[in-house]
Amino acid sequence: MTEPTTPGTPTPVDDRRETFEREALVHLDTLYRVALRLTGNAADADDLVQETMLKAYRAWHQYQQGTNAKGWLLTILRHAFINEYRRRARHPETVDVDAIEPFAVFEDLQEEDPQGRFFDQIVDDEVLRAIDELPEQFREAIVLSDVEGMSYEEVARILSVPIGTVKSRLFRARRLLQAKLYDYAVGMGYIKGSRA
Amino acid sequence: MNCREAVEHLYEYLDKELTPQVEREVRQHLEDCQPCLEQFDFEDAFLKFLQARCRGRCAPPELKRRILHELFGE
Repeated sequence: MTEPTTPGTPTPVDDRRETFEREALVHLDTLYRVALRLTGNAADADDLVQETMLKAYRAWHQYQQGTNAKGWLLTILRHAFINEYRRRARHPETVDVDAIEPFAVFEDLQEEDPQGRFFDQIVDDEVLRAIDELPEQFREAIVLSDVEGMSYEEVARILSVPIGTVKSRLFRARRLLQAKLYDYAVGMGYIKGSRA
Repeated sequence: MNCREAVEHLYEYLDKELTPQVEREVRQHLEDCQPCLEQFDFEDAFLKFLQARCRGRCAPPELKRRILHELFGE
């Protein structure tokens, strides 16, 4: 059914490939970072990203060019994660995220370190470990918003929740993450802190 | 705008998710209120720190090769 083409003329396949490379593959790093935080290990993250790209390429005709490819890809990735990886993820979700009482680190540190200088002493791996310890709903909100810089609306669309839910999850997630890093920094002696 | 209202908008302000009108009100409050400004700066430092610490990780080149091979047979 293919039309005869002269050498050098782009075929529909070339075209599909070109647009996919230009609009989808450029988001590989983002997909990988999100996959890493969702699955918690590099091997599963690799597989999840590969599967996402395959699904996306097969469904490429459904993607409207020029719209938000990153959001579209992340939605595919998240569905694949929920369907195939979450069951064997390290942290089964037993936490009632709405019951988590946010602790305001700033209030505790406004005398000792109001500028949050202690954050700079915390190494990358420790930050990633603290994120990985968050409940999944918090983890994905933090990764999409704070690491990948997506808007509330984009995050809401990817997670299929209202914008208000994104706001409240981000609020709690950030406060909980701060509290974890604070506890770590106190433990390491970077700050004294006064939280009993 | 008072302190309580300003702090309620803290993250939306830092995330640039407020309407121009409310954003202006928050900014005006921060100009006049040192304690709130300190809190906003603290949270701003936290968010910037978070992004700086986590953005470094890139997809491994081997993964990209695997995907290209799978998609295009290269």
